Amino acid sequence: MTGTYDILSYFLELFSSGLTRGSIYALLALGYTLVYGVIGLINFAHGEVYMVGAFIGLIVAGIMSIMDYNILAILFVTLTFAMIYAAAYGFTIEKVAYKPLRQAPRLAALISAIGMSIFLREYVILAQTPDFVSFPALIPKPAFLLAIKNYLEPTEVLIILSSLTIMVLLLILIKRTKVGKAMRSISQDREMALLLGINVNKTISMTFMLGSVLAAFAAILIAAHIGQINYNIGFIVGIKSFTAAVLGGIGSIRGALLGGLVLGLTESFATGYFSSDYEDVFAFSILILILIFKPSGLIGTVATEKV
Amino acid sequence: MNLQIKDIHSYYGNIEALKGVSLELTAGEIVTLIGGNGAGKTTILMSISGLVPPKRGEIHFDGNPIHALSPDKIVSLGIVQVPEGRRIFPDFSVQENLDLGAYLRNDKPQIKTDLDYIFELFPILKERRYQSGGTLSGGEQQMLAISRGLMANPKLLLLDEPSLGLAPLIIQQIFQIIKKINQEQKTTIFLVEQNANLALQIANRGYVMENGLITMEDKATNLLGNEAVKSAYLGI
Repeated sequence: MTGTYDILSYFLELFSSGLTRGSIYALLALGYTLVYGVIGLINFAHGEVYMVGAFIGLIVAGIMSIMDYNILAILFVTLTFAMIYAAAYGFTIEKVAYKPLRQAPRLAALISAIGMSIFLREYVILAQTPDFVSFPALIPKPAFLLAIKNYLEPTEVLIILSSLTIMVLLLILIKRTKVGKAMRSISQDREMALLLGINVNKTISMTFMLGSVLAAFAAILIAAHIGQINYNIGFIVGIKSFTAAVLGGIGSIRGALLGGLVLGLTESFATGYFSSDYEDVFAFSILILILIFKPSGLIGTVATEKV
Repeated sequence: MNLQIKDIHSYYGNIEALKGVSLELTAGEIVTLIGGNGAGKTTILMSISGLVPPKRGEIHFDGNPIHALSPDKIVSLGIVQVPEGRRIFPDFSVQENLDLGAYLRNDKPQIKTDLDYIFELFPILKERRYQSGGTLSGGEQQMLAISRGLMANPKLLLLDEPSLGLAPLIIQQIFQIIKKINQEQKTTIFLVEQNANLALQIANRGYVMENGLITMEDKATNLLGNEAVKSAYLGI
């Protein structure tokens, strides 16, 4: 009996940690896919916005901890500040690194994206530190989740639930609001959107800001869960989330969500049942296999060349 | 409503597509612009809409310069283009396409009235309301494209080749409705067409364009009778 119990609880543990990673990947993948949808560019600096979000959070949380605020208040203010700052970063990155190159060949914008990514990492090394720094455990463990703590890690459950909530809100925003409709119309036919009076520049800025807000949200949750951050955290997570977006079908919102969750679960089970040394090998094997056999992704439509 | 184009020069890259074009549209008119492929007809519309702003020359709307305004500002003034090829958003339903036409408007009751008017003009669109735009036939897409333009509440409607690729019967129907819109809504219409015969039949005035320049301007009836126009554009 104990044997069965162990197998089950080990499975649940992997499942929940897979979903946790997966929701983080999904939140970031949304940023990649939204930006790709409106301007046809892979924003390789997106992972760095996530990293910067975590550092902003660390500073805010640090100050508030010294002032002895309640943990929920700290979490709330930290999230808010990180999201606002990240939005400002996303906005600025687009204006500085991509907008001047909108008419240029796509390779130029791609190189600019990589340059921006390196710039932000070096900037954080210089302005903060090249070392790992510890991040306060801001996520509370409410009583109702302690009841299931033998099966599922309460922090992970909270991360999964709050990520899902944010994703649902985003879906509603994309589907129902004016700015959401503007985004979707630009991704279908930018010139026609212009002819209908949609302010394309403003909508592109909004898209970058929205993606950055999601990234900062993910960054704070995971940093508070893992307990440490450094300048490099955005790099691997960024590439994996990009993998998730491609896995689901780049440009597709539902694809980003699905891709994120599938990638997170795959990684978790692969490391749990095989070997944790191979975590990244699995993730990137998926990327290569998808690119070879189904470049349009799990639920993406046939990729059309963007002009 | 008055639109004045004064000696505009517009470029696609290094190619000078408009080499000094002047024309004028006044309230309530249907004016057509005819000419062969590559004459620069579409470029004029794109210059008016602000997508290909002229490098030289001026465009005035009701006396105010608009040649340096952004496309969304131009739409908000009531200058709305229905571009060539219909450009329906394929992933959006008919209703969503129409809603986007009213993107800049906030006058909900009036939007509803306009929607009812459109469904009266094109009952088929009401039937297909929740169908995605990509599944419509060519004729239905053209009806939707015009309707989406009307949802922006235009004072001046710019139509680029509405007859392109459609069956003769559908073309007749669409041209009748263009005329109806002009009469009932008092919308000024600037109609770019290769189908010169039909266009001149519903228009008050016409311009003929060749190689980036306006070469002729006259009443539509006179152009229909003009020998040069007949041989070049009417296939007579």
